[in-house]
Amino acid sequence: MVEPHPKAHPAVRYSTTDLVKRLLGIAWQFRMDCLLSLGLNIVVLLLSLIGLQLLGLVIDVIRHGLDPSRLPPQFPLGWNPPVEWTALHTVVILSLSIMVQAVIRAFVTYCYNMATARLTQGAIVPDLRNRLYAKLQRLSFRFFEVNGSSSIFNRLTGDVQNTRLFVDGVLLQGLNMLVTLITYFIFMWHIYPPLTLACLSVVIPLAFVTHYFSGRLRPGYLRNRELSDELVAGFSESILGIQTIKSFGAEPDRIRAFEQGNDNVTAQQQKIFWDLSVYTPLTQVLSQCSLVILFAYGGWLHVQGKIALGGGLFVFAGLLQQFTAQVVNTSTIANSVQQSLTAARRVFEVLDTPLEVDTSPDAIEVPPLRGQVSFESVTFGYDPSLPVLFDISFSVQPGQVVGVFGMTGSGKTTLLSLIPRFYDTQKGRILMDGMDLKTFELDEFRRQVGIVYQESFLFSNTVSANIAFGSPHASHDQIMAAAKAASAHEFILELPKGYDTVLGESGVDLSGGQRQRLALARALLLQPPILILDDPTASVDAKTEHEIISALRKAMSGRTAFVASNRLSLLRRADVILVLENGRLTKTGPHDKIVHEPGVYRDAALLQIVDLTLDEGGLG
Amino acid sequence: MSEEKRFHSESSSAERTFPRRRKPDFDPRHAITYFHPMEEREADQAPLKWDLIRRILLYTNPHSIKRNRLMVLVVVRGFLIPAIAWMIGATIDGPIAHKDLPGIYRYAIGFFCLVFFTSSLFHFRQRYALELGENVAHDMRTQLFAKLMSMPMSYFNKTKFGRIISRMTSDIESVRVAVQDVAFVVMVQTLQMVICAILMAYHNWKLFSVMLLLAPLIWIVNDRYRKEATHKLRMVQESWSRLTSTLAESVNGIRVTQAFVRHEINADFFSRLLDVHAENNLGAARASAVFVPLLQMKSQLFLGSMALLGGYGALHWTGTLHMDVGDLVMFFFLANLFFDPIQVIGNQYNLALTAMAGAERFFRLTDLKPEWADAPDARPIPRIDGTVAFENIQFEYETGRPVLSDISFSVKPGQTVALVGHTGSGKTTIAALIQKFYLPTGGKILIDGNDLHQITGDSLHKQTGSVQQNNYLFSGTVLDNIRFARPSATREEVQDVINKLDCADMFQNLSSGIDTVVGEKSASLSHGQRQLVCFARAMLADPRILVLDEATSAIDTATEARLQTALEKLLQGRTSFVVAHRLSTIRKADLVLVLDHGRIVERGNHEALLAQNGLYAKLYEEFMGATTLA
Repeated sequence: MVEPHPKAHPAVRYSTTDLVKRLLGIAWQFRMDCLLSLGLNIVVLLLSLIGLQLLGLVIDVIRHGLDPSRLPPQFPLGWNPPVEWTALHTVVILSLSIMVQAVIRAFVTYCYNMATARLTQGAIVPDLRNRLYAKLQRLSFRFFEVNGSSSIFNRLTGDVQNTRLFVDGVLLQGLNMLVTLITYFIFMWHIYPPLTLACLSVVIPLAFVTHYFSGRLRPGYLRNRELSDELVAGFSESILGIQTIKSFGAEPDRIRAFEQGNDNVTAQQQKIFWDLSVYTPLTQVLSQCSLVILFAYGGWLHVQGKIALGGGLFVFAGLLQQFTAQVVNTSTIANSVQQSLTAARRVFEVLDTPLEVDTSPDAIEVPPLRGQVSFESVTFGYDPSLPVLFDISFSVQPGQVVGVFGMTGSGKTTLLSLIPRFYDTQKGRILMDGMDLKTFELDEFRRQVGIVYQESFLFSNTVSANIAFGSPHASHDQIMAAAKAASAHEFILELPKGYDTVLGESGVDLSGGQRQRLALARALLLQPPILILDDPTASVDAKTEHEIISALRKAMSGRTAFVASNRLSLLRRADVILVLENGRLTKTGPHDKIVHEPGVYRDAALLQIVDLTLDEGGLG
Repeated sequence: MSEEKRFHSESSSAERTFPRRRKPDFDPRHAITYFHPMEEREADQAPLKWDLIRRILLYTNPHSIKRNRLMVLVVVRGFLIPAIAWMIGATIDGPIAHKDLPGIYRYAIGFFCLVFFTSSLFHFRQRYALELGENVAHDMRTQLFAKLMSMPMSYFNKTKFGRIISRMTSDIESVRVAVQDVAFVVMVQTLQMVICAILMAYHNWKLFSVMLLLAPLIWIVNDRYRKEATHKLRMVQESWSRLTSTLAESVNGIRVTQAFVRHEINADFFSRLLDVHAENNLGAARASAVFVPLLQMKSQLFLGSMALLGGYGALHWTGTLHMDVGDLVMFFFLANLFFDPIQVIGNQYNLALTAMAGAERFFRLTDLKPEWADAPDARPIPRIDGTVAFENIQFEYETGRPVLSDISFSVKPGQTVALVGHTGSGKTTIAALIQKFYLPTGGKILIDGNDLHQITGDSLHKQTGSVQQNNYLFSGTVLDNIRFARPSATREEVQDVINKLDCADMFQNLSSGIDTVVGEKSASLSHGQRQLVCFARAMLADPRILVLDEATSAIDTATEARLQTALEKLLQGRTSFVVAHRLSTIRKADLVLVLDHGRIVERGNHEALLAQNGLYAKLYEEFMGATTLA
């Protein structure tokens, strides 16, 4: 099916607000899991603060116990240990509490990790992939042609992950960060406000540096990706085209080109390496600066007797480390926003692409078809403003074989793809046994149409699974009967494992003729009253064509069959031949009639006849 | 593929112990692709081998200055990291605890200087490591590509494309990580651990010995975690590869799916694959969700027990057991630096194992001896006249399965030879032997009277050219593709060639003429146009010997007639071998060789062969049967 060159589907435009709204919708869909993850994270945060506070207290209690002249420990929340407790008592209780805290925290952390994993990998990602896949299966071929298989593949793999990144990497992380920063801030403020402000003054330059460098590094990374992808693409091409390279002795050129690309990759990375190696040490120095301030100012405060050593300075030092780490984290979140929005756009595009052809709500059940087909003034274009078929009308009786003849681009394939209703006509209608196709339940209808394409796609599965593709519950006898009807049985038996032979990339390769016969068997298994053969001998050589032509003829008899081809060998026995020229039906009739009328069909026939008579002359 | 097979037999036992019970859940008829179990895959890790490590290190030799500076930096850093932590403890426990204000300021300034110095050094430590890694990867890529280009065709026929690509991508990448990280990180961390141990033991050996008891525990937990995680990750990879191959085939086979109304069965199957994959993912998440908090807990538990011991030591115990409260502060900052390396080194060890597997495969490829090479005394051949003779040629791809037997024929310069026969009769093999893609196992091929084996492959290939059945085009413009064999050719020369082929008009309706970009799939070009580009490519190269595998793809009759004329122009004035599918080509050949099961059964021109009424006449009838109008 190389004929149609469909125009790109008008891309759905999404504003950032739309995207964010829909992404929030996904989060809302899984709101309980989100809340659980958020709640557990807050518990972990509180527990770690408690742990740190307890440790600080221990230090103060010991110091006070050794030298009562030192600052007494300041217990939080106005709680004080009972007077009968000695310092040692208190230390033991506090230490044990730290251990208990450690165990609880480990357990809650586990729950948090699992809740998040369940939310992302267990819920959001499978849900999105399921929806995408189900949708993809129903989208029109046009979508696949416009987007290309690798882009579609990426949408279901990487883009889905990046879309869910919005929920855990942006929304949850952002909220977590906010809660953490606020809690830490309050905690520090509670210890000594001016010290908090002094120490946190470092945060401003730190945030600035982080954002500056992540903005500076991003284009570098993108460029790096491009260059490496190019290098790998060139590498792959050289392997795939190795025979061409060798036969022209072009290895030195290819090696030179590869080395050039390789040098470019390395040279481009130098800048990234430099930036990265300035960025990391800079953030290190800045975050440690808060400690320097703590030592100088906090030390002075301690000397003045304003804050305790353990519960004050020591706890402060612990909190600062966490706080600055969170600030550096903001740039990761900022990057995730960009990443998830880009990916979400691509995911939603698939979900929002309208189904062009669908069963109408008042569709009727399809009776077993007899195979009477009529086209009534059918006009169709992949792009409605550029029709590919103009005003086509013809009628076919059940059991007739219809040949469709035309040059490349004349609309043969398009005409055939309207019969199973892969597309809907723009003008006119197609009748099947006198009923409009559009009134049928679509799936039921298509099950009664068998199709063999120009280049048959076989799945990397066993021979029998491929034949039974349309009816997985078919018995082995049915499969064998279909194979026999398609003259495929003999060669299948000769394959290493017969019907259980695996085909495809990691299996057995079949010749073009064998593939077409399997495709024919696949179509015949359903015993369709209507059979469509779209240039079935195009990709096989003349000799193989001879092998399969009798199988095709056998298959066509007894059903309404459409066969597109420009090989007269296939067409000449048809009951009626439709000659297409630039999308118009210019001639209709049996071979014997139209071969005598001037036109493209006669020209083609003459080309082949000239070839033959010359040879026959040679024979004579 | 023998190299790959050998590999599988060594693959780790983890692969075998996979639960198989899940498999029957999938009815193979509902499946879209056949399920290939893990044995198909390459091993992820291999044990450390000194031999491999030495070879990897050799790649750092050209960059020895950088490498040696890194060694020094790493050692210094191993001292500086504990120094910073010690300084924090010393400041709190020293001047601050003693309320020594000038001391506090001195220490604060000292601390800042230390941090500044350490970070400045880190700039070089990080940059050199990244650069060294990239340099090594760069050199490996160059070497790999040059090696591949020198491999004979037989290698490419026997090796899967995906395998070659993963040498270039994942394997080199794993070695890069090993070079830039593993060795240096392990050095820093080990030193850091030792220095911390010494500092802690110096401050309070009692607390330290209690702490030491925890170390093996951490190692065991960590080790179990790694094994568990690796195993789970493999399961994730397995279900993922099944998911992706199903997805890829679903996309490529969409026309079949819709024609056969399989979307519901497919969606159902895919959804079950997703369930399995999600389950595996959660399994992997569980492995880390258990162990990571466990490792965190150890440090908290350790701090708790230290507080307890420290409390007793300071407040209760006297004599040798007495402890100073300052030690507690000091240990708080040093202890993590002692414990963290256990985890870090464990991970680096894992990376090292991955690198070993990657390096092993990479070297196996670069060490591969070509099955044959030019004779040691091979000489370049001067301009070829075009006499080609086969003398009793025997050939077999695999021993014991002859493909060609006793092939002898001789061709004069400028003649066209058509090779005719059933699939598998040996036509393509003869074409490959002429281009020296393989060496015959018996007999001699003479070109202008010189034994092909005594001619260098390069000099021969500069004078041969081919047009293949699949019309491979490289990404770039039509122009680039035509001057593939002679990149120096000017635009005019290319135009000239197109004019000579009498087909300039066929490129004119392309969007940008000969500047139209063609991709890997070359969707923008029709079959006929693609073939024409290949003709022009061969014409521009102007080879003395041309090998042509005619395309079988049906092109409409008008185009076919055009191609036929172009082909005749192309064949003029050079010795040509055509694996022929078109009757017109066969009829015009000077010599037709009819092959059957690797032997020449008939020879002569078209008329003579028909008169013989043998296999050729029969083939001809079959051919006619497929095309006659009668």
